[in-house]
Amino acid sequence: MLLTPSILKIDQEETKQRITGFIKDYVAKTKTKGIVLGMSGGVDSSTNAALAALSIGGNKVHGLLMFEKETRNKLDIDHALQVAKQFKIRAVFIDITNLLNAIYKSIPDFIESDFKAKGNIKARARMLLLYYYANSKNLIVSASSDKSETMIGYYTKHGDMAADIAPQQDLYKTQVRQLAKHISVPDAIIEKPSTPALWPDQTAEQEIGMPYEKLDLILYGLEHFMETPQIAEQLLVPIKMVESIKKHWLETEHKRRIPLSPKLGFRTVGRDFRLPYDAEVE
Amino acid sequence: MVDQIKVALAQMSCKVGDKAHNMRTMATYIMEAKKQKADVILFPELSVTGYVTKDRTYELAETIPGPSTKKIEKLAEENHIHVIHGMIEKNAKAKGVVHNTAVLTSPDGVIGCYRKMYLPTHSIFEEKRYFRQGYETPVFDTAIGKIGIIICYDIFFPETARLLRLKGAELIACISASPSVRRNYFEILTAARALENTAYVAYVNLVGIEDGLQFWGGSRIIAPNGRIIAQAKYDEEDLILGTIDYTDIPRTQTFVPALRDLRPELFNELGDLSKKL
Repeated sequence: MLLTPSILKIDQEETKQRITGFIKDYVAKTKTKGIVLGMSGGVDSSTNAALAALSIGGNKVHGLLMFEKETRNKLDIDHALQVAKQFKIRAVFIDITNLLNAIYKSIPDFIESDFKAKGNIKARARMLLLYYYANSKNLIVSASSDKSETMIGYYTKHGDMAADIAPQQDLYKTQVRQLAKHISVPDAIIEKPSTPALWPDQTAEQEIGMPYEKLDLILYGLEHFMETPQIAEQLLVPIKMVESIKKHWLETEHKRRIPLSPKLGFRTVGRDFRLPYDAEVE
Repeated sequence: MVDQIKVALAQMSCKVGDKAHNMRTMATYIMEAKKQKADVILFPELSVTGYVTKDRTYELAETIPGPSTKKIEKLAEENHIHVIHGMIEKNAKAKGVVHNTAVLTSPDGVIGCYRKMYLPTHSIFEEKRYFRQGYETPVFDTAIGKIGIIICYDIFFPETARLLRLKGAELIACISASPSVRRNYFEILTAARALENTAYVAYVNLVGIEDGLQFWGGSRIIAPNGRIIAQAKYDEEDLILGTIDYTDIPRTQTFVPALRDLRPELFNELGDLSKKL
């Protein structure tokens, strides 16, 4: 297998149809009134919002713009509002600064300088608000995670991945960008650097240490059972770089599963207790 | 023995675990097929229950005869039609053992069953976790022709269809629950099985989404020369009909003499090498 950029090329229309069909079907099966999702102005959340609107109509999609003082960026707000307008999504602006300050103040051992622990609070606070809307308006929460970030665990546990569905989770970031273009998400959003917005000036590619074009090919190789030396050789990158990505992938499995428990009973939840998602009971 | 029959393929979606709902859907299709003068109607793999039943597989299993086959028998009798459908079969001797089974029913009652031989257990498939594989490849000599049945993944193994053909089957029914990512494989394999055996292949696939898995439909009837006689839509429910003419088979066999040119000695070698793989 040759790891060239063309290997990540998707059939954009087919992918759009699969995802919108999936969303529509799930909303119908769960008998909910629509979808609530976060809108950061980035490519993932904009694509997620656009796909939701294309599936069930923008008037049934509630887009929460949950900005806060430390990471607020006018361009991101403008982009989120632009997507909401373009896809006729119900935009709700919530300044979460006071909420976050209240949480920080309530923690006896809060350490201001621990930017990671503090940053994760932001993602979890957003989750809390999304689920408030979901519960009070009978909506499902749609996560905007992509396959690149899901595989390397580049997200907050019980934060931005806490959702009912993740429609684009099987698409690498570069594939999300292809799909975004196909469904007319504005180019300025597709082309700007991604950021989780957990602290000021944070960018995903800087933290990950390589562009998504490279990361996605490494992950594609790992997905297809390629050995790390083979991937490194093909992509002309140091083997340590590939091994580091593989390490992130393997070490973050705990984020992708339900909590681990010892096997004690006859059938154990999360292991050998397997039930269908959408089973009808007669 | 008839020369021509009209085959209907009911490309349905299922509600997982809701047998009553699925049975109602099947009844509607049977009545519609009859209106269009079909002699036989095919339903997808595990059409009584839906495909992704996971641990509910056991509670949804039924013996044959059982409540579901009795309902199908009644529908077949009332509409004077043959029916091939899929269900989870509870083994009559060992009740904790279940099979992925296709049932052939005539207007006079159940003719026979086929238990899936090749149970996919890879990627998103986990059939061996639940089902016991079948060991028999029966060919049913019916009022509407000699019919053999295979189920979905069986089609990847040319020996199953070949065995049916050598036992005299002229119509190979393949009932399926194939997800979208495998569409290309099935479009190739259904045509290949028809052509290499100079037999009719009637392929019926599920549609709808179960557990996030989308089934692509695309049911089709293929002539012994590989020509597509009827083709259903992708991704949505559909009922298609096509006429098959058994008298075309000998003609095709002069042009595609695959059966005449069989080399039995290779089968022995295949058997030996398969054991050593």
